[in-house]
Amino acid sequence: MANLKEIQRQIKSVSNTQKTTRAMKLVSTAKLRRAEELAKRSRLFAQKTNQVIAEIASRIHCNKIGGIQNRCFVQNDAPETIDIIFVTADKGLCGGFNMQTIKAVKRLMSEYKNKNVNVRIRGIGKKGIEFFTFNKVELLDEVKNLSSAPDMVRSSEFMARSIRDFNDGIVDAVYLVYNGYKNVITQELHINQILPVSIGDFDCESAKNTVLELEAQDEEKMLDSLVNKYAEYNMYYALIDSVAAEHSARMQAMDAATNNAKQMVKSLTVKYNKARQEAITTELIEIISGVESMK
Amino acid sequence: MHTLNLEVLTPSGSIFNGPVQSVTVPGEEGEFGVLSQHVALTTLLKAGVIDIIQENGKKQSIVVNWGVVQIANNIVTVLVDGAVAIRGDSESDVAKALEEAKALISSVADSSAMIASVSARVESAAHSHLF
Repeated sequence: MANLKEIQRQIKSVSNTQKTTRAMKLVSTAKLRRAEELAKRSRLFAQKTNQVIAEIASRIHCNKIGGIQNRCFVQNDAPETIDIIFVTADKGLCGGFNMQTIKAVKRLMSEYKNKNVNVRIRGIGKKGIEFFTFNKVELLDEVKNLSSAPDMVRSSEFMARSIRDFNDGIVDAVYLVYNGYKNVITQELHINQILPVSIGDFDCESAKNTVLELEAQDEEKMLDSLVNKYAEYNMYYALIDSVAAEHSARMQAMDAATNNAKQMVKSLTVKYNKARQEAITTELIEIISGVESMK
Repeated sequence: MHTLNLEVLTPSGSIFNGPVQSVTVPGEEGEFGVLSQHVALTTLLKAGVIDIIQENGKKQSIVVNWGVVQIANNIVTVLVDGAVAIRGDSESDVAKALEEAKALISSVADSSAMIASVSARVESAAHSHLF
C-alpha cells in the first residue's frame, strides 16, 4: 500500500510542475509577441545603418582616401587587445540559449588567446556573468538587469566605454556576441565585429566608379558621430534581438517540459494502476487461501 | 515627372517610404533640397524639419532630432533617431503631432533660438497641412 501512496504523490508533484511550465510557456508567448514586434520594427533600421556604414568603410578601404585617419575604418589584422561583449539572459530555464552564447564567447576567447591577443570580456546578463565568475574568468564589466529590459540610455553608456577605449588605442577590436531571434523556433548566434567597421564582402570593383561624397567641413567629426551612433545602435539592437530570442527559447523549452511532464504522468498512472491491481489480486489470493484452509 | 525614392527610418520603424518629387532636409551645414538625379552624397542632419513633396504634389513634414542621409542612385535614405510626422485626418490629430514634435525638438536642441525657429517651421507646416 505504501507503494501506491508513493506513486500518487509523484503524480501530483509532476502535474504541479506541469502547471508551472505551462504557465511559464504562456507568459513567454505573450512576452515574445511584444519583443518580436519591437525587434522586427528595429531590424530595418539596424540593417540600413550597417549598410550605410559598411559602404563608407569599404569606400575608404578601396579608394584609400587620404586624410581619413579614423581608426574605426582602418582594418587591423594584428590586434593586440580586443573587447568581447556578450549578451545573455538574466534568467535561466530557456534551454541551451545562454550556453550557446557562452560557448561562442569561450571559443572566440581561446582563439585570440592562442594568438597571444589580450582579451577583455564585458558581460551583459546575469547568467553569462555567473558562469564566467564561477569559472574564474575575469570580467571587465558586469551589467545585470539590462538584457531583460533593454534600455537605449544604459546600453549606450555601456557601449561608450568600448568606443572610447577603441579611439584611445587601448583596444584594437570590439566584438559583440549574442543569440538573436530568427523565428519562433530557431535562434541564431551572432558574432559581430563592431569596431573597426567590418567591410564584409563588399566588392571594390563596384565602388571604383563612384566617389565617396561626404558633405561637411570636417569629415572626421561626421564619421565620429556616425560611428558612435552605429555602435550604440548595434548594441541596443543586440539587446532587443536577444530578448526576443530568449522568450522564444524559453517558450520552446517550457513546451518541451510540459510535454515531458505529460508523458511522465501517463506512465506513472499506468504504474499506479498496475500496483493497484496487484494489491487487489494479492488480497483476493489471501482471502481465498484463508477460506480454503478453513475447509 | 522625375521622381526619387525616399525612405525615412527610425529605430522604431519606417515613417515614410515611397516616391517623391523633392525633399528638403536640414543638413549639418545648412538646409538643402534634393531632386531626382541628385549627386551621391552622405551627410549628417541636425534637428529640424524634413519637407517632402510627394508624387501627387501633396506636402508632408517630418520633424527629426538627429540623423544621417545617404543619397545614391535616386534613392534617398534618411536614418533618424527620433521623428514625428506632422499629419493626421483631423485638427486634433495634427495638434497632437505638433505637441510631440515640439517635445522632440526641445529635448535635443541646445539653444532656445533654434527651438523657436524649428517650432515656427513646424507650425507653418501644420497649417499648410490643414488648410
